[in-house]
Amino acid sequence: MGNSFAMLMDGFQTAFTPTNLMFGLLGTFLGTLVGVLPGIGPALAIGLLLPVCLTVNPTSALIMFAAIFYGAMYGGSTTSILLNTPGESGSVITALEGNKMAKAGRAGAALATAAIGSFVAGTIATLLLAFGAPWMADVALTIQPAGYLSLIILAFATVGTLLGSSRIRGLVALAVGLVIGLIGADLQSGALRLTFGNMNAIDGIETVTVIVAIFALGEALYLASRHTLVRTEVLEMKGKAWMTREDFRRSWKPWLRGTAIGFPLGVIPAGGSEVPTFLSYGVEKALSKNKDEFGKGAIEGVAGPEAANNANAAGVLVPMLALGLPTSATAAVVLVAFQSFNIQPGPMLFQTSPEIVWGLIASLFIGNALLLVLNLPLIRFWVLLLKIPTHYLYAGITTFALLGAYALNNSTFDLQVALAVGFIGYLFRRFGVPVTPLIIGVILGPLAELQFKRALQISQGDWHILIAGGFPKIIYGILLLVIIGPLVWNFKKKFAVKK
Amino acid sequence: MILKISKQGKGELVFAGSLFLLGIFVAWDTSRMDVPQGSSIVSPQTFPYMVAAFTSLVGFILILDVLRGRLGTPEGDEPGDPFVGANFKTMAIIAAAIALHVILLEIAGYVIAATVCFFGVSYGFGSRRYLKDLGISLAFALVVYFSFTKGLNINLPSGFFEGVFKNG
Repeated sequence: MGNSFAMLMDGFQTAFTPTNLMFGLLGTFLGTLVGVLPGIGPALAIGLLLPVCLTVNPTSALIMFAAIFYGAMYGGSTTSILLNTPGESGSVITALEGNKMAKAGRAGAALATAAIGSFVAGTIATLLLAFGAPWMADVALTIQPAGYLSLIILAFATVGTLLGSSRIRGLVALAVGLVIGLIGADLQSGALRLTFGNMNAIDGIETVTVIVAIFALGEALYLASRHTLVRTEVLEMKGKAWMTREDFRRSWKPWLRGTAIGFPLGVIPAGGSEVPTFLSYGVEKALSKNKDEFGKGAIEGVAGPEAANNANAAGVLVPMLALGLPTSATAAVVLVAFQSFNIQPGPMLFQTSPEIVWGLIASLFIGNALLLVLNLPLIRFWVLLLKIPTHYLYAGITTFALLGAYALNNSTFDLQVALAVGFIGYLFRRFGVPVTPLIIGVILGPLAELQFKRALQISQGDWHILIAGGFPKIIYGILLLVIIGPLVWNFKKKFAVKK
Repeated sequence: MILKISKQGKGELVFAGSLFLLGIFVAWDTSRMDVPQGSSIVSPQTFPYMVAAFTSLVGFILILDVLRGRLGTPEGDEPGDPFVGANFKTMAIIAAAIALHVILLEIAGYVIAATVCFFGVSYGFGSRRYLKDLGISLAFALVVYFSFTKGLNINLPSGFFEGVFKNG
């Protein structure tokens, strides 16, 4: 613990140089700017801004990333409250309850409780991250390839089956992601897979291209095909973004409870920010003295889920940093950002690049604080962005997404891939298939194969090694619970209904 | 099993079917893979075969799901919301705008490619104020081009404007 504290202080020293602080400020601004735009969630926002960061040194870039990360999250909640179009599943509840508050003329209070709640949750969660991640990395150093493989399979199962409305559709997305991950040369033998003689495909498909294309292009194609371009009304904000004493009294407990629910569910891969925000909403509704206000604009219903969403996002960074296992689309983009600087997150990260990882954690604190200072006063400027007409908005998103895909390698092959992936994204949107499992499949598929091969090389080809030892057994036990649990639950529900 | 499938169901059936075929396709590609000599204990074919089997399996289950009438609901819609048929014309316009960007980028340069793409997408989304749209498209392309090439030192194809911009 003491060691972590000292390292964190070093991290603050890294982050507090004027240059890095400026990048932090720029990141906060850009992150909010892009995150506020309707239809752009945090993952896409970070993906779009990745090329911007590639030109500066790794430490400054990652600091900028930390700021973009929280900025994009915060921007998303602003959009949900004022526009009722959640950019991502974690903001659905905020959109529900916050938009009702805005309609009742309480937009200022809703925005303030979201901002301060995010700050409180983000700060506590980052603190937990700072002390939890190194500990987890220490434990992870002892994990064998077979155990690592079991963790990846568990992540596949939870992300695949817990997201979205239909379990089979989550697995469909995972399968397509795994296929995309196969493309290119096999890491060990160099054997070519699914390249069809295309030289550009040998290095595989860029993950950022996939993320940006599936969100931005898929969404643009889908919305155009629906052609239901009814302009959603931007709610006017009266007065300042601030809360009364009464609002504070009703908000602080939900903030803390939201943090307590969001963080652990981020650390264990429980399938994105959907579950914790809904759970927090349910808890607040059950505990509230003003139950009748829920659904009509209860401040607790914004404060709790918004805190849960932010704490969850920080929680997801724990396995991402300590194990190299991303379990949300946002964490996946952050992982790719690390990789583009040739930094491999995982157990070794804390030993090989302590200054980078602690600089990052310190800048998460700073970015979070900057947001509070920057955003409540700037809220009127952000609201203006919501008034951009839809056709220019999507024209801009599409064009910028293509730029992002191209600028990584300066190759038009990436653009062709983007168009193809955009079409897949359209099909997924159209048939209710969630997107996150695909991204997780693209990233973790090759990693799963690597660990699988390592395990079998250790055992000289004996497959029993995959379930040998205590650790894999425990993980596969949890896996069974995750798969069978909901089945039993559904069965009981059906049974109860029949009775 | 009731084989009365709505129009929406037919589309989804094709989607599920192509997923099943994708698995078979991956297996076929894997079977004709050039395996380098002296490969290690685990062949580079093992994992792709597993992925292929998994893909076909989930594709098959999805087919059954659709046949049973459990259709996918686009996120943001409630189950049972009236089904909105796809407008393939507007979609094709967006796809064409993206494709044009891909083709034009290295021939005509970034500014032209991005202007065409921006204009095309806003047209696809129903905007018909051509002059204003064109102006905004060009302005967007120019701002992005200069902030990336001059501000961030990221190279973008300059195309026709090479001489003009390099010296300017």
